[in-house]
Amino acid sequence: MSALVLARDLVVDYETPRGVVRALDGASFELPPGRSLGLVGESGSGKSTLGMAVGRLLPANARRAGGDLEVNGSSVFALDDDGIRALRRDLLGFVFQSPMAALDPTMRIGRQIAFACGEQAAAGRVPELLRLVGLPERAAHAFAHELSGGMAQRAVIAMAIARGPRLLVADEPTAALDTSLRAQILDLLVALKNESGAALVLLSHELPVVARICDDIGVMYGGRVVEFGDSASIFARPLHPYSKALLATAQENARPDERLAPIPGMPPVLSGPCIGCSFAPRCALAEERCRSERPSLRPIAGRLAACHHAEAMSAGRSRKARTGS
Amino acid sequence: MSGPREGRLARGWRLLGGDPLCAAGAVMLVLLVLAGAFGPLLPIGDPIKIGAGPRLSPPSLALPLGTDELGRSHLPRLVGGILETFLLSGAAVLLTGVIGVFIGILAAYLRGATDGIIARFADLLFAFPPIILGLLVVSLAGPGTLAVITVITAATLPLFIRAVRSVALGVAAREFVTAAEVAGASPLRIMAVHLLPNIAGAAIVQLTYALSIGMLIESGLSFLGLGSQPPNPSLGSLLQLGATYMSIAPWLVFPAGIVLALAILSVNLVGDGLRDALDPIEGRRLT
Repeated sequence: MSALVLARDLVVDYETPRGVVRALDGASFELPPGRSLGLVGESGSGKSTLGMAVGRLLPANARRAGGDLEVNGSSVFALDDDGIRALRRDLLGFVFQSPMAALDPTMRIGRQIAFACGEQAAAGRVPELLRLVGLPERAAHAFAHELSGGMAQRAVIAMAIARGPRLLVADEPTAALDTSLRAQILDLLVALKNESGAALVLLSHELPVVARICDDIGVMYGGRVVEFGDSASIFARPLHPYSKALLATAQENARPDERLAPIPGMPPVLSGPCIGCSFAPRCALAEERCRSERPSLRPIAGRLAACHHAEAMSAGRSRKARTGS
Repeated sequence: MSGPREGRLARGWRLLGGDPLCAAGAVMLVLLVLAGAFGPLLPIGDPIKIGAGPRLSPPSLALPLGTDELGRSHLPRLVGGILETFLLSGAAVLLTGVIGVFIGILAAYLRGATDGIIARFADLLFAFPPIILGLLVVSLAGPGTLAVITVITAATLPLFIRAVRSVALGVAAREFVTAAEVAGASPLRIMAVHLLPNIAGAAIVQLTYALSIGMLIESGLSFLGLGSQPPNPSLGSLLQLGATYMSIAPWLVFPAGIVLALAILSVNLVGDGLRDALDPIEGRRLT
């Protein structure tokens, strides 16, 4: 089965007045149809850029400097305007970070969802879509500002699934919501994904949340995917030091009074290709080789990792496991 | 948050009540428009009949505002002048609105070369002072209604395009436009369905300012004899006449001057009120 989304060493630069900022520095991942992938990383790790690149929805100052990204077998950068419109319309559904910004304030919810359905399907599908996302039918007559944040995000999800997309991209869909609503919205996304058989890309900075609901995880750092594999194994045994640090910062693991371990330093802002490993300045294991030679993303213990120490870490863990038994 | 079943009219009325200056401006504007629209139907005399009374006679019961140098009754001429000024500047500003909204949204959404060409075109128009532009147009097309409308439109268009473009740029960067693009909406639909309603408020406010500029330009051109041609009255030509005979017939200059000042004041007051009501931060306090 061929991949629905295939990113190969994608490099994307933003041209800003203060020079070039490299948002993606050779990001690679693969998503088969119907599977869910969580892209995890800090702000500035490039996950939003990667997510938006799937629909070629990057800002006007973004330039692809290398690599490629294919959706359904065709490169999104090679498509003409009609081609990309058809691809977005027929294959993609996006759920945005802030539901209030993703809804037109001058238009009633029902009309917006009807627009998302397209001309021929028209208003007949609106009540059904509202029911699917758990909104009452009267929400169709409301304006965005009359809805609560959770309801508005449900409306955005209804728009995203209106045309039965084969790929849903959700960019931190719960970032603007109350904590109590987050699980509801994520569960709704997963339920709709399972029902329709669509693939899901979930962008988030919370590794445990993503591990709970996604099949695969891609950990992003410095514009690269530094570790990629199935959720259970990454969550149980992260191979990349950054994945490990990310897990350690998660509040879910903390006991009362325990101090959470912050990752020292700041994520990098790149202006060109990173020579060594971009995590090296913050990594406890970093040595000379990490700063001078870029680790490739390679298969280790049934997953992909980009760290010079990944083999040793994997072997060390298994040796310990053997002596323990 | 406003009640869901509150009518637009009721909401508009409440906004006016919360802003007495805007309400006063609106009342004045409505009175002036009514006077211009229905005044000529009242039995107040013929505006172009020469010799309706003695020349330059002071106000009396029969001729409430006196007569001009040809013995024409001044009151019907003033009412006709109001109609002429409002009609010409209103038509020109409507034209500005239609063209400006279209071009401004186009520039903001398409960006790139289209945006650059439109911005330079607006700068070019902006570089001409209105009166110089008026002389140019009149020398090409001859004085009259058409010339006045052309000059007002050309003078108000650049500012209006810029205002629409800057608001539309902000709207185009918002996520619901991206959401519409993901849904496969065509550029035309995004501009018509998403951008237009979101800039409409700002555009209406700008149009009220354009209307007051339009009235000034119309009066200015008519004052110079380049606007509406005799025997048709306009506030500008009445002012010019009044200025000529100010020392011997001072009653001629004041009515037209006061009416013009009130018209521009009322349009600006309504514009300020609308701006406050439609501004998302200020407006929230009122609703």
